[in-house]
Amino acid sequence: MSTQHSKKAAAFLKNQEYTAWHDATFWGVRVGRDNMAMGLEEWEQLRQKASEIKLHTLSHLDKYLEQFAGNAAKNGVKVHWAADADEFNSIVLDILTGSGVKKMVKSKSMLTEECGMNPYLEAHGIEVVETDLGERILQLKGQAPSHIVMPAIHLSHHDVGELFEQKGISEGKGNHDPTYLTYRARLSLRKEFLSAGAGMTGANFGIASTGEIVVCTNEGNADMSTSIPKLQISAIGLEKIIPDYDSLAVFQRMLCRSGTGQPTTSYTSFFRKARCADGEFHIILVDNGRTQWLQNPAHWELLKCIRCGSCMNTCPVYRRSGGYSYSYFIPGPIGINLGMLRSPEEHQGNLSACTLCGSCQCVCPVKIDLADQIYAWRQEWPAAGKKLICSVMNAVYKNEGIYRNFTGIAHLANILPAPWLPFYLRFPRKPFHSLAHDEL
Amino acid sequence: MSSKEEILGKCRTQQDYPMPRLDDIAAVKYPDPLTQFVAMSAAVGGKVVELQPGKDINHLLRSLFPEAVNIASNLPEISLANRNPDTVGSAAELDGTDLGVVRGEIGVAENGCIWVPQTMKERAVCFISENLVILLPKEAIVNNMHEAMKRIRVGDYGYGCFISGPSTTADIAQVLVMGAQAARSLTVVLLP
Amino acid sequence: MKVGLFIPCYVDAAFPEVGVASLRLLRYLGVDVDYPEGQTCCGQPMANAGYEKDAEPLIHKFGGLFAGYDYVVAPSVSCTAFIRMNYPRHKCRVNAVDIVEFVHDVLRPAGPLGRFPHKVSLHNSCHGVRELGLSSPSEQNIPQFNKIRDLLSLVEGIQVLEPERKDECCGFGGLFSIEESAVSRQMGCDKIRRHAATGAEFVTGPDSACLMQLSAAARRLGIDMGFKHVVEILAAGL
Repeated sequence: MSTQHSKKAAAFLKNQEYTAWHDATFWGVRVGRDNMAMGLEEWEQLRQKASEIKLHTLSHLDKYLEQFAGNAAKNGVKVHWAADADEFNSIVLDILTGSGVKKMVKSKSMLTEECGMNPYLEAHGIEVVETDLGERILQLKGQAPSHIVMPAIHLSHHDVGELFEQKGISEGKGNHDPTYLTYRARLSLRKEFLSAGAGMTGANFGIASTGEIVVCTNEGNADMSTSIPKLQISAIGLEKIIPDYDSLAVFQRMLCRSGTGQPTTSYTSFFRKARCADGEFHIILVDNGRTQWLQNPAHWELLKCIRCGSCMNTCPVYRRSGGYSYSYFIPGPIGINLGMLRSPEEHQGNLSACTLCGSCQCVCPVKIDLADQIYAWRQEWPAAGKKLICSVMNAVYKNEGIYRNFTGIAHLANILPAPWLPFYLRFPRKPFHSLAHDEL
Repeated sequence: MSSKEEILGKCRTQQDYPMPRLDDIAAVKYPDPLTQFVAMSAAVGGKVVELQPGKDINHLLRSLFPEAVNIASNLPEISLANRNPDTVGSAAELDGTDLGVVRGEIGVAENGCIWVPQTMKERAVCFISENLVILLPKEAIVNNMHEAMKRIRVGDYGYGCFISGPSTTADIAQVLVMGAQAARSLTVVLLP
Repeated sequence: MKVGLFIPCYVDAAFPEVGVASLRLLRYLGVDVDYPEGQTCCGQPMANAGYEKDAEPLIHKFGGLFAGYDYVVAPSVSCTAFIRMNYPRHKCRVNAVDIVEFVHDVLRPAGPLGRFPHKVSLHNSCHGVRELGLSSPSEQNIPQFNKIRDLLSLVEGIQVLEPERKDECCGFGGLFSIEESAVSRQMGCDKIRRHAATGAEFVTGPDSACLMQLSAAARRLGIDMGFKHVVEILAAGL
């Protein structure tokens, strides 16, 4: 019995020193999150409100989407609707080619990752430059993110130092100090900001009542990306729409506290209009499966997710197996679930990566029952490898005669070597049920 | 059918969850919001200084940034400024700004956020400057984000930002570094 | 008050002393407890593996056996939680309570229980914490409590400690321990190291499955600690 995930996890665990660092690092983020949560008396109330706002918005999504798009159009924004990744990618390409743009700077967006936008644009001759430092490092290295908030967490400062030397970002060799490397990346990215023809952002929230996109970053790279070029494109998944500023206050207070253990991101940016008279602002609303998921009676609440990443940080399995052990591009408890929504055939191998400990659903700021959802997926897609053992157990348990015979002679199994008998298990000569009567 | 109609059609669900009340959130309040704001600003890597009544802001800025050469601001009282984000030919011309000075409208005690709506033609000044100074009236401090969100106004430029501390990153090995892509330092000047 | 004792399959077969201690404790506290014949398994291992539907006959068998009891008391938080969370879906109504809950919330003993003059490290099993509410989860901003600790404070001579990361999973997870054996082993080893770091002689907890996982990890690492189910300590010397 092994799965796609368990095999990769076993390989990850071979490097014990790194495993210990990975576990301790993410546990540290969890502790930071706990400090924030314990620091606000209203924390659990906020979680409840956040969950209810999301349930309300998702159950009236058509109304809020129309309101959002209508207000955005009033602000002079060009609103696009993309049914799937292909349509999204071609809309972006059309906008860029229509404006003669050859280079685009962009801030972090898991949605563009989901749609495979960068490779698509690059195949059409457009240079895309990631400007979130972690994403930039991965782009230079040709890797995918291993965490949704801390994408390059799997690389050490030496890895980054060597990469920057190779790419000519660092001067000379041997200086792998994170402060120095960050400074060198700043200088290199500054040139990109100044020479790009367009800036792109994802969206943490879309505000229906104003038609605005709200983006939270620590680096200020979403603002840098959109303050210099005249063309702005923002991509937003349908589920990111919320009603108004009062709702935003609830989510803004929890997003960063949950995700990184900070009281806020350094920048919470509100984009309402094109930045200048001869500029353009395009918002692309992306479905790519979301409306179908909305109709899934058992799993639609997964759309409440605000992508804070706290479920990964607390997950004891994620911390000990790393982002790359999951087959979906989003790892951890939310990734297991979203992968199943996307393609159960492809991603059921992640379902094993859960002890059902339930810590994820206790940290989730929008109260998604992540572990219960994984349990439900296991029922919908029972693993073939576990069928036999479950059938045998069922047969034994259903018939107390057989059960008594089994447990009565179980101690004979003590001589069996692993893996026939897990080495932690040793049976006494008499099971409880043969002692019970003497006791009673 | 366009993607828009198709998407909206598929969004209609049988579910009907009510919008919760939000006015009953027992949000944190501080006995002295200003003290909390100053503490939080420091916690997020920013600095807060107070302009004493009757003192010249330009003297204060010069003493804080003695080496700043290129100083950008569209505020009339900043006579030190030698670049104006309202009149530069392009945003890119603001590159190389040592010090940018802008006005903030609301400070938030719980997290050190300052609401900075765009009030200049090139908002790049808020991010491209090596050091950013935000002038904030001392009485404009609110307790928490709920209070702040009730007061913010995105002006005609159609952009605004809550800024809390300098640009930061921990993307290299989880080591916190100030000065990622935007301002490397943030100083809040409290105005009397 | 009609009380039925449920001794889950793995406790029955591998940890009969936990069943014996449960009986002794309940009877010491004046409960006239039944042990219905023919009980086997609640269905949890199969269900957690994705075969809840196949376990339905077991669920109904269990429901039939324990019909008419005011409380079905079990010394296992994960089995109790499974019954409480999932049986209603199968229209099977039994009032399952973990023995810690039952003693703490229903019997509410004031006087002394057993005697156990040792340092113990408390293992807060996941399903006890997050599904049954035996203690406040470390993730949540709610008033702190721990019903296991409350009961252990009635034991003479005991000193109760808690490990760092007081309610992180031990990595057992039923078939998880076989399917994801590498991660499971790592979690077990990490957890037992933290228990050992308290300086305790014993690890105690409300679920023998977790204790089994931890004792395996202890053997692997050469850590010399004893493992006792909470009821064994509560009933020690009674």
